[in-house]
Amino acid sequence: MSAASAAVAPAPSRLRLGPLVLIAPAAILLAVFLVIPYLNILLMSFRAPGQGTPYGEGFTIANYLRFFSDGFYIRQVANTLWIGFLCTAICLVVGFPVAWQLARGSPRFRAIGYGLVLSPLLVGIVIRSYGWTILLGNNGLINRTLTNIGLIEGPLPLMYNALGIVIALVHVFLPFMILPLMAAIQGVDPSLETAARSLGASRLTAFRRVTLPLCMPGIQAGCILVFVLSLSAYVTPSLIGGLRVKTMAVTVVDALIDTFQWPWGSALALILSVTGALIVVLFARLTRMKWKVART
Amino acid sequence: MRSRVLAAYCILIYLFLAAPIIIVVGASFNAGNFLTFPPQGLSLRWYVVFFHNDVFMRAIRTSLWVAAVTTCVSLVVGTMAALFYVQHAGRWKETVRVAMLAPLLLPEVLTAIALLFFVYAIGIGTRSMFGMVVGHVLMTLPFVFINVAASLESFDPDWDMAARSLGAGRWTRFRRIMLPLIKPGVIGGALFAFIISFDLFTISFLLKGIGTSTLPIQLFDYLRTNFTPEAAAVSTLSVLLTLGVVIVSDKVLGLKLHRF
Amino acid sequence: MTVVRIESLSKVYGAVRAVDRISVEIGDGEFISLLGPSGCGKTTTLKMIAGFEEASEGAIRFDGADVVRVPAEKRDIGMVFQNYALFPHMTVDQNLAFGLEMRRVPRAEMRSRIDRVLEMVQLSGFSGRYPSQLSGGQQQRVALARALVIEPRILLLDEPLANLDAKLREEMRVFIRDLQRRVGITTVYVTHDQAEAMTMSDRVVVMFGGRIAQVGAPADIYERPQNLDVARFVGQVNLVSGTVTSADGGTLAIDTAFGRAAAPARDGLYPGQAVTLSLRPEAIGLGAPGKAGAPGRVEARYYSGSLIDYRVALDGGETLHVQSFPTVAFAEGDRVSVHAPADRLWLIGAAQ
Repeated sequence: MSAASAAVAPAPSRLRLGPLVLIAPAAILLAVFLVIPYLNILLMSFRAPGQGTPYGEGFTIANYLRFFSDGFYIRQVANTLWIGFLCTAICLVVGFPVAWQLARGSPRFRAIGYGLVLSPLLVGIVIRSYGWTILLGNNGLINRTLTNIGLIEGPLPLMYNALGIVIALVHVFLPFMILPLMAAIQGVDPSLETAARSLGASRLTAFRRVTLPLCMPGIQAGCILVFVLSLSAYVTPSLIGGLRVKTMAVTVVDALIDTFQWPWGSALALILSVTGALIVVLFARLTRMKWKVART
Repeated sequence: MRSRVLAAYCILIYLFLAAPIIIVVGASFNAGNFLTFPPQGLSLRWYVVFFHNDVFMRAIRTSLWVAAVTTCVSLVVGTMAALFYVQHAGRWKETVRVAMLAPLLLPEVLTAIALLFFVYAIGIGTRSMFGMVVGHVLMTLPFVFINVAASLESFDPDWDMAARSLGAGRWTRFRRIMLPLIKPGVIGGALFAFIISFDLFTISFLLKGIGTSTLPIQLFDYLRTNFTPEAAAVSTLSVLLTLGVVIVSDKVLGLKLHRF
Repeated sequence: MTVVRIESLSKVYGAVRAVDRISVEIGDGEFISLLGPSGCGKTTTLKMIAGFEEASEGAIRFDGADVVRVPAEKRDIGMVFQNYALFPHMTVDQNLAFGLEMRRVPRAEMRSRIDRVLEMVQLSGFSGRYPSQLSGGQQQRVALARALVIEPRILLLDEPLANLDAKLREEMRVFIRDLQRRVGITTVYVTHDQAEAMTMSDRVVVMFGGRIAQVGAPADIYERPQNLDVARFVGQVNLVSGTVTSADGGTLAIDTAFGRAAAPARDGLYPGQAVTLSLRPEAIGLGAPGKAGAPGRVEARYYSGSLIDYRVALDGGETLHVQSFPTVAFAEGDRVSVHAPADRLWLIGAAQ
C-alpha cells in the first residue's frame, strides 16, 4: 500500500518581503535603543574616569581593577547575591503551595486567586516598598503588634538591614514565582499521580517522583526570573536599606547619578550582571542534570 | 482537612500580598501628623494638602502624559510585531519571541543606564522626554506583544478561509473578522502598557530631565525625607487611578468579548 | 449550475507530489466524493479547487473557464469546514449575512434569503444565537446554510461530519444529501469514511498517494474494485487465491476453493498463473458440514445485532471473514461448509 506522506506544507524557507514591514518598527526599536546602548555600556566600562565630566578620554581596565582591589565591593556583590538567593528560595517555598492551590483547586476560585496574585503588580513598586517601610520600622505595625501581644520585648530590627530587604523583595516578587509555577503545575496531568498511586506509591512519593520532575521547567523559570529580578532591584533595597545597607543596584545608580562616575558604574553593573548570568547558567545546568528536566 | 489547611495558608499569603497596600491606604486617612497604621483618627486632611501640592499634581500630569504616549506607540509597534510573529515568522518564531521579550529579561536598571548613555551620546541628553518615552516603550512592548500574540494564536485560520470563501478581500477580512477577534488582546495589552508605564520608576529616575518628575519619582523623593501621611494619600489616589483604568476599560470595551 | 473539469492537477512540494496529475470531470448538479486515507491528497485537491492552495500544474475549469489564477474570494464557491469555522463574534444571522454583504445583496432580499435557508436547515428561530450557544450538529447546519445562502457555483465540503458523534453523523449524511438534491448544486465532498462516501455520492473518486485509484459509482467501486488498495479500503474484503486454468475466447477460467470463476481476459494473465480475487463477506454463505461447499471451522464469532461476523478457517488453509444475518447461527468451534456464488468472485490481478 503506497501512501505518500507529505500532505503537510513545509514552512516557507524564505521570508516574504511584504510582511517584514510588520516587524520592522520593533526590530529597529530594539536594535537602536537596546542592543547598541547595551554594547555601549560594555564600552563605557572600559573608559577612563573623567574630572567633572561623566567620563574622560581613552580606555583602561582601571575600573575593573578598582573593583577587585577593594574587598568592600566584592563583599557587596556577595551580599547582593546572598539576598537574591534567599529571596528566590523563600519565594519558591512560600509560593509553591499557593501555585498548587491555584492550579489544582476549583476553577471558580482560580480566577479570583489569579487576580489576587496579580493585584500587587497594579500598584507601583514605590508604593509597595513604602508600605513595607511603614510595616517594618521600629515603631512600625509588625513591631508594635508583636510587642502588644507580648511576644517580644524590644523592637526587632527589620528595617535598614538585609532581613527587611529580603522580606520586602519576597513580597514584590512572589507573583513572579507563583505564576510560572502555576502554569507548570497545570501542565502536569493529575491522572499521572493517580496512576503512580495505583502502582503502590504513597502521595509523597508520587509527588516527588512524578509531579515534581515534570514541574521542573516551571520551577526553573520561576527561580531564574525571581533571582534575576531581585539582583537588579533598586527601589525596594533603596527605601528599606537606606544608607546603611546598599545592594549593588543602589551602588551603581549612586555612582551614575550622585557622583557621575559612568565608567565605574558601568563596570560595577556589568560585573553584577555577568556574575548573575553565570549563576543562572550553572543553576540551569544543575537542575537539568539532577532532575532530568524534560525538554518540552 | 488537608485542603482546608491549604486554603487557609493561601488566604494568609494573599493577605501578605495585599498588606502593604492596605497599610498605605489606611495610613492615608490619618488625622494626626504621623504616618502610622492603624491611623490615629480618620481624616481627609492629607488629601486636601496633596491637592494643593503643585509638585505632586504636575508629577501626575507628567505620568499620565508619558503613559498615554507610551501606550499608543507600544500598541502600534507591538501589535504589528505580534501579527508578524503569529502569521509570518515561520522558522524565526523563537528568535522573534526572545527578542520581543528581551526588555523583560534584562534588568530594568541596566536598560535605564544603557539609554542614559545613549541619549547623551546622541546629544539629546535628558533635556527632552525622548529618552524616557523610549525607555517606557521598551519596557511595555513585551506586554503588548504577549497579549496580542496570545489573542492571535487563538485565532482559527479557518475563520479567515471561511471569510475568503464567502468573497471577502484582505482588508475586509482584517476589519470584520480579525480585528474584532483580537480586540481582547489589544485592549489587554494597552491596559498593561498604561499601568506599567505609570508605575515605572528606575527608567524614569535615570532619564528624567531637571525639573520634570513622574509620580513614582516624586513619591520616592518625598519618602526619603518626609514622613507625613501626604505621601500615603498620593499613593492611594494612584492605586485608585490604576484600578479605575482597569475597571472602566473592562466594562466599556471588553464587555462584548466575554461571549467566547 | 456548474460543470467542473479538473485537468492534470498537481501539487508539488519540492520532491514530493502531494497531488499527482488528477483529472476528473464533475457534472452539473453531481455529488462527487474524494475518498481516501489521511495524506492521500484529497483535502489538498479540495483546497486547490477552492483556491486556498495554489496548483503547481494543471487546470481547474468552472464551466470551461480556468480559475487556477483566480483568488479564492472571487471564485464564487461555498465551503463547509470540518470544524464549522463559524465567526464566533457574530450571531447566526450575521454569519449568514456575511457572504451576502460581500455580494452587496440589498437588505430586504438578504432577509428573505436568510429566512429561507434557515428553514431549509431546520433552524428557523435561531437567528439571534451565537455559535457558542449551539450544539455541534446545529453549528454544522449553520455552516451549511452559510455556504448555501450565497447560491454559489459549487459546494465544497471538507470532512464536515468528522467532529460529530456516530448517530448524528448518520442523520446528517441523509440531511446533507437530501438538501443537495433539492438545491441541485454541484458538490465535491472530502471524506476518509467510505460508508459516508458510498451512501451520499453519485460518484466516488478513490485516491491513494496523490493519485486517483478508481472513479465510479459506489456500486462499481464496491463490487468491481480495480486494484487491491481499493478493494481493501472500501468495505470489508476477503482475498481469495485462485489459478488460471484456461484463457480462450476472451474469457479466463479460474479455479478457486469455491469453484470455477470467470473473468474477461486480461494482458499478462495466462494459464497456470496464480491470481487474487476479492470476495465480499456478505456474499459468503455458511451451511451445515457436509453440504455443498468448502469444509471449514468457525474460529470466532462477533454478534452486532443486525448481523453476525464470523472468522472461518477453511481446511484448505485460508481464513475468511464471513458476514450473515442472524437467521442461521453457528457457534465457535462448529464445523461448517462454506460456499459462494462464482459471479461474486471478482478478479483483482496476478498474485503479489
